[in-house]
Amino acid sequence: MNSFVLGDPKKCIGCRVCEVACAVAHLDTEIKTVGNMNFSLNPRLYLVKSHEITMPVQCRHCEDAPCLKSCPVSAIKKQSNRIVIDETGCIGCKSCMIACPFGAIELIFSHQESVGDGDLLQNEPEVIASKCDLCGGEPACVKACPREALQYVDMVKERTQRRIAAANKMGGFHNEFMVRE
Amino acid sequence: MVAKKLQENIKIDAELCTGCGRCSEVCPVNAIEGQQGKAQSVNAAKCVMCGQCVQICSGYDSPFEQYATSRSQRLQERNMPIVNEPLFAAYYHGDFFKVKKRLADKKQFSMVQCAPAVRVSLAEEFGMPLGSLVPGKMVAALKRLGFTRVYDTNFAADLTIMEEGSELVKRITEGGPLPMFTSCCPAWVKFVENEYPELIDHLSSCKSPQQMAGSMFKTYGAAVDGVDAQEVYSVAIMPCTCKKFEADRPEMKSSGFQDVDAVLTTRELAYLIKEASIDFNALPEESFDKPLGMYSGAGTIFGVTGGVMEAAIRTAYELITKEAIENVNITSARGEQGVRKVVLDTGSLKLKTVVVSGLKNVVPVLEEIKRGKTDFHFMEVMTCPAGCISGGGQPKMLLPVDGKRAYENRKASTYQHDEEQRYRKSHENPEIQEIYQKFLGEPLGHRSHKLLHTHYKPSR
Repeated sequence: MNSFVLGDPKKCIGCRVCEVACAVAHLDTEIKTVGNMNFSLNPRLYLVKSHEITMPVQCRHCEDAPCLKSCPVSAIKKQSNRIVIDETGCIGCKSCMIACPFGAIELIFSHQESVGDGDLLQNEPEVIASKCDLCGGEPACVKACPREALQYVDMVKERTQRRIAAANKMGGFHNEFMVRE
Repeated sequence: MVAKKLQENIKIDAELCTGCGRCSEVCPVNAIEGQQGKAQSVNAAKCVMCGQCVQICSGYDSPFEQYATSRSQRLQERNMPIVNEPLFAAYYHGDFFKVKKRLADKKQFSMVQCAPAVRVSLAEEFGMPLGSLVPGKMVAALKRLGFTRVYDTNFAADLTIMEEGSELVKRITEGGPLPMFTSCCPAWVKFVENEYPELIDHLSSCKSPQQMAGSMFKTYGAAVDGVDAQEVYSVAIMPCTCKKFEADRPEMKSSGFQDVDAVLTTRELAYLIKEASIDFNALPEESFDKPLGMYSGAGTIFGVTGGVMEAAIRTAYELITKEAIENVNITSARGEQGVRKVVLDTGSLKLKTVVVSGLKNVVPVLEEIKRGKTDFHFMEVMTCPAGCISGGGQPKMLLPVDGKRAYENRKASTYQHDEEQRYRKSHENPEIQEIYQKFLGEPLGHRSHKLLHTHYKPSR
C-alpha cells in the first residue's frame, strides 16, 4: 500500500516552511541561503489558506492513481510504495493535472538556471509535471515543520498498530459482553 | 518626515504574509501586530529594526499563486536590484541603488568600512560553506567595486575599547551611573530610548564603532589622503538592518557632514558584487588599507555576543592594574545563555560584568537595575540572539535548521580570526596608538569627546 504525507489543520499555522523545505530538497545542487537562489522555489506541496482551513495539500499516492492512468506516454509509475513522475518522459500535456482530484500536480520548469549567471541559459527550459515523491521515505516537509503538523503516513504500519490497539480495547469489552449474556 | 521614513525601515508585505505569527515570536519588542492567520504589520513606534522577523519569515512569493503586485513592483518597493531569488513577506528597505550610483562616479573619493561579522558570512552568498572566513576576498571585492579606501569597522572597535574602557574606569573611580551599558548595538540603544528612558544615563556615551569610523574617515582619514571631508563618500557594510537608522540619526554629523553616508547590509554587498560580475570565489586575498584598516583580535570579536565585554576586559585589566592580563581568552564571556555573569579579579577591584544576548533577556535585568538591586559595573547587550553574526542583514537561510549551523560556524570563525591576529588587545594596535599621538590626544580628551562620543534622548 502506498504511503503519503498528511497535514493537520489544527496544528498548521500556514508558515510555508514545508513548501520551502520541499523546494530545497528537490534542488539539483545544495543551496543554503536565499541569495544563492537564482530562480523561484518550486515546492511539491501547496499551502491552502481560506477562511475555514489552513493546511498544505499534496499527492495522496492513490492506489488506483488517476494520474498514472491518464498519462498518454506512461511517464507516471508506481515505485514500491509511491507514485512518481518520470521527468524525462513527461511531455507536459496536463492530463494528470486534470485527472488529479487533489490538485496535487503542478507544472514547473525542468531546468534550473545555474547560480550567478541569470541570463546564460543553454537550453530553453522544458515544462514538466511535478508532484510529491515522498523524498525517498523521509519527507523534508515533515522534518521542517515547526509545529509538527505534518505526518508521514505508512498505512500498512498504521493499520497494524490500530488493529492491535483495537484488539486490546475490545478484548476486555467483549468478555464483559459475553459474561452478561 | 525624515524620521517617519526611518522608522518604517522594516516592513511586512501584506500580500505575501500568511499570518503564521512566527515573526512575532522572535520580535523582542512585540512590535508585530495582527490577528493570527491575517497579514501582520510592524508598529514603527515600537520596532527597533533588528530584522529578526526578516530572517525567520518563510512566507514567500509562490510561483503557483497569483498576486496583484508584480515582482518588479515588489523589488522596487524594497529598493532591491533585479534578482530572481524568492521574495519573503518581511523585508527591509535597501540602499543598493544609492551606493551603486555614487560608486559609478570615478572621481568620487570613497571610504568603506566592514563590520566584524560580515567577513564570516559574506562568502555564504557565493555558495561557500556557512561561516567561511573571508576578510581578504571581501577587501579584494570592495576594491574591485571601486572603493578608494577599504578601511575597517574593526579598527573603530579598537577605538571604542579605548574610549569605553576609559569611560568605565572613570565611572568606577569618580562615581558615574553604574552599571554602564554598552552602546554599540543601535537597536539596544533605541530600545533604551523607547522603553527605559529613565536608564539612559547608564548607556556609555561612546558612539558605536560604525559611527566612530565614520567620523574618523571624514577628519583623520581625509587628512591622511589630503582630501576635503566634503569630498569623502563614507559607506558602511553591516550585518545589521538597524545600522541604516543609526547612520541617519541627526546627531551623527560630528565631522561637520553626515559621518556615514550609506549603509549596506551583507546581503546588499553580495548583490553589488554579483551585479558587477566579480567572481568572488576566485578573488585573491587582499589587505585592508592603513591606517584606519588595522585591527586587533579584540576588535574582531565585537561580532559575537560577549565579544565587546571580552575586548573591554583585555584592555580594562591593564588600565586598572597596569599589568598585562595573563590569559586574553575570557571564555566565561563566551557562551549561549541569554544572560551571563563574568567576574574579573583585578586585585584592588572585583570587576563585575553581565553579558546579555537577545533583547528579550535584558528586561528582567533592567527591572532589577531600576529597583537598585544590582551590584555589577558593566553590561554588554546585543539585540540579536548570537550577537551581530546573527543580525537581520546577514545572509538569510532557506531552512531554519541551517540558521543554527550558520551561527555556530560564524562564531567559530570569529574566534579563529581573533587568534590569528598579531595583536589581541585594542590598546596594542599600533595604528590606535598613532591616532591618539597624532590626532586624538587621549581617550576621553577634548577631540575624542567631540568626535567619538554622543548623547541620547528619550523617545517619549
